[in-house]
Amino acid sequence: MHINLPYIDRIWRARGEVVLDEPLTPEEAFDRLDPLFQTAGSAYAVEGDTLGYSKHNPAAQDKLATFTRGTLRLVRQDGRSRLVFDVSSTALLLCFLAPLLFLGFAQTMVALNAWHNADAEAVEAPEKDKEAEKPKVKRELHPLDKLLGAPEPDDPNKKKDKEKDKDKEKKEKFDPTRAYVLAGLFFLIYLVGRVLEPYLFKRTLRAVLATGQTELEGAGEHAASAPPAPQPEAS
Amino acid sequence: MAGVRVGNRIIGADAPVTVGWDNIGRVEGGPIKQFIFTHFQPAVLFGLIAFWYYAPNEWALASIGIIIGLGFKVFLLGLEWVNPRYRSWQLTWKEFATDVFYVGMGYTLLRMVDTYIGDGVMIGAVQGAFDWDKFAWFTGLPLLVQALLISMIFDFGQYWMHRGMHNWYPLWLAHAPHHYITQLNINKGNVGNPIELFLIGLGIGGFFDFLPRAFLIAGAIGMAVGTYQHINVRFNTPRWWRFIFNTTEHHSVHHSQDYEATRSNYSGTWIIWDRIFGTCIDGEAELLGMEGGRRMDIRETMLFPFTEAYKDFRAWLSKPARTPEPAPHQPEPAE
Repeated sequence: MHINLPYIDRIWRARGEVVLDEPLTPEEAFDRLDPLFQTAGSAYAVEGDTLGYSKHNPAAQDKLATFTRGTLRLVRQDGRSRLVFDVSSTALLLCFLAPLLFLGFAQTMVALNAWHNADAEAVEAPEKDKEAEKPKVKRELHPLDKLLGAPEPDDPNKKKDKEKDKDKEKKEKFDPTRAYVLAGLFFLIYLVGRVLEPYLFKRTLRAVLATGQTELEGAGEHAASAPPAPQPEAS
Repeated sequence: MAGVRVGNRIIGADAPVTVGWDNIGRVEGGPIKQFIFTHFQPAVLFGLIAFWYYAPNEWALASIGIIIGLGFKVFLLGLEWVNPRYRSWQLTWKEFATDVFYVGMGYTLLRMVDTYIGDGVMIGAVQGAFDWDKFAWFTGLPLLVQALLISMIFDFGQYWMHRGMHNWYPLWLAHAPHHYITQLNINKGNVGNPIELFLIGLGIGGFFDFLPRAFLIAGAIGMAVGTYQHINVRFNTPRWWRFIFNTTEHHSVHHSQDYEATRSNYSGTWIIWDRIFGTCIDGEAELLGMEGGRRMDIRETMLFPFTEAYKDFRAWLSKPARTPEPAPHQPEPAE
């Protein structure tokens, strides 16, 4: 995603820097970061003090699974080293757009409801007559259940007026509430991701630059038999 | 890899699978943790059955069942952090967001499609065509018997649909994307192509007439057992439970990277269907997925059945037409 859209691109881009504990040359720093790019679907290239990378559909546990493309630049100043990053995430962008999809589903449901209601009005009367002819049978509980104290089923013919009113109100074929809730949920997930993921990204870089270990080697152990070490990707 | 012989099959020749119950992981920790993670599953199951059995009619509603189901899922998400089965299955933000997308599709798009062509519609059409009434005498049975029947009938259908998906190519095309999941988490049951999720949701329960309360108890059994198919929590599952019910262990074998192992444990709730039909493999696996654990993204998951079918159709078309091989020249026998 190389589109240059100032401000708007903050939706899917993260920029920042990690100050290194010890001064490192670009070669040393990128050498330590190398394991992060030795995963399936990863490609990277180093040019001077800058490393550019991209990952195609990384594994679920890949440390850079969210930010799949970007550049890392090592800046040395006053005897200290800083790693400046500018990375982008398709996942964040799609998550940001997901509410629109679910709002679209909600609108489809509203439209279908209107269409069905228009249809139903035309054929409502005869159906009601049919229903009136057939009184519903009241179900009886098995004697064993009566003995154990399970509540008796309601008599379907003694429907309370309130419920009848409810039935009249609830003519809708589809309830769009779930679609609205999902739209809201995705907006919430996006907000969490936008804050959490850059933080975890920085934490991963800091940890790898300090030790040169990615912790990826831990995969395969039984969680129960080895107490989990702090996980940079925890979300 | 040598693998282990189970019946006339070799399990674990392609990828590691722990076969049998002797070497599977156990919950580590103090006596309280051990107690909780040993008895949690049965306690929830019996608690829910008792709740629905005795709940007053105003409470015995499907909407309350849905709220309990959602609350249960959120609680189990928390348990994944407290006592994970494998670190390599830990839920990340991206995995969570992806899973919720599939859950959302199930609650919206699939529900709309189901309304028009789902099992309810098909059963209604069959009943209308033949003027069959429902099997009304079922409502006279004890509630728990009705609930067990609903649960087992539905799961029997799921077993054969699922087994069909692993054995008949057109159905496999729809089911394959679900087998690209590389870890088990609470919402992973919803990850897959919508066609598959539609097919697996079909049931024949609608032919029978049950008391609504029995349906709620059956739903609770499905929830309190089937949910553990996809979850990253380590339990010390009781022996009796894993004999009759499906477990995370069974389902991890089904999702393993070992081809033979995936052709087992097809049921959703009642593993006894697999035991009866000879497809059960007790054990567990950590390395899951297809093609060595390649993750399938949402776009590919949505398109896979169509793109694969198209590719295969093209390959079939471009195959040279079969002509009978010329018979090898037979030297004539010397006269």
